[in-house]
Amino acid sequence: MTPALTGRLNALGLFAISAVLLFAFADQFIRNDPPCPLCILQRAAFVLAGFGLALNLRFGPRASHYAVTIIGALAGATIAGRQVLIHIVPGTGSYGSALFGLHFYSWAFIIFALIVLGTAVMLLFDGQFSGGEAAARRLPGLSLAAFALFTLLAFGNGVSTVLECAGGLCPDNPTGYLLLR
Amino acid sequence: MMSIPFFFVVAALAAAWSGYRQASVALCAAGLLTLLVLFRLHATDMLGVAL
Repeated sequence: MTPALTGRLNALGLFAISAVLLFAFADQFIRNDPPCPLCILQRAAFVLAGFGLALNLRFGPRASHYAVTIIGALAGATIAGRQVLIHIVPGTGSYGSALFGLHFYSWAFIIFALIVLGTAVMLLFDGQFSGGEAAARRLPGLSLAAFALFTLLAFGNGVSTVLECAGGLCPDNPTGYLLLR
Repeated sequence: MMSIPFFFVVAALAAAWSGYRQASVALCAAGLLTLLVLFRLHATDMLGVAL
């Protein structure tokens, strides 16, 4: 796998994670559905997983960067798995809306598992680790766009969380934004 | 408080953009640690499942 192809695949992966964060934002603002504390932590885990891909774009592919992605995804899967278990018994309710029959935390668990799988597949190609750093010093358009969009979404999630929860822990069942009342 | 992991990663992205790889990884590690602490603070209820 050439460094250029690796860069493109990492940029697409970062766009995919950004799409997840954008979808969560759309649900939050269009349907006025503030995220629960565990939902916010899952978003943070998506941001951490995406950061490994951003490192690949900026400094070239390294196994340690993929490890950052896997660790972030495993943390996210743990949090999403806990939320699935909270609601796994019939009659114990759920949080938020469902998409194609699954709630967002169930989708999050699946996507985190796919991130781990996809990252492991990327690690199979040793050729990407030779000479990729020099090529990655200047970000081409696609990588630059992915890096910028991802940074914007990470910052946006931080601001949104401050508005929703102020300086403390978020309420378990948020109904609005503490700083906008 | 729950926004801290996001801002750690934003700072890490800024450090990466500026070419400081080790600083960006350290900031990311701080973000991960904060995330785990926040998860611990929220995962206090016993789960109603028999595993």
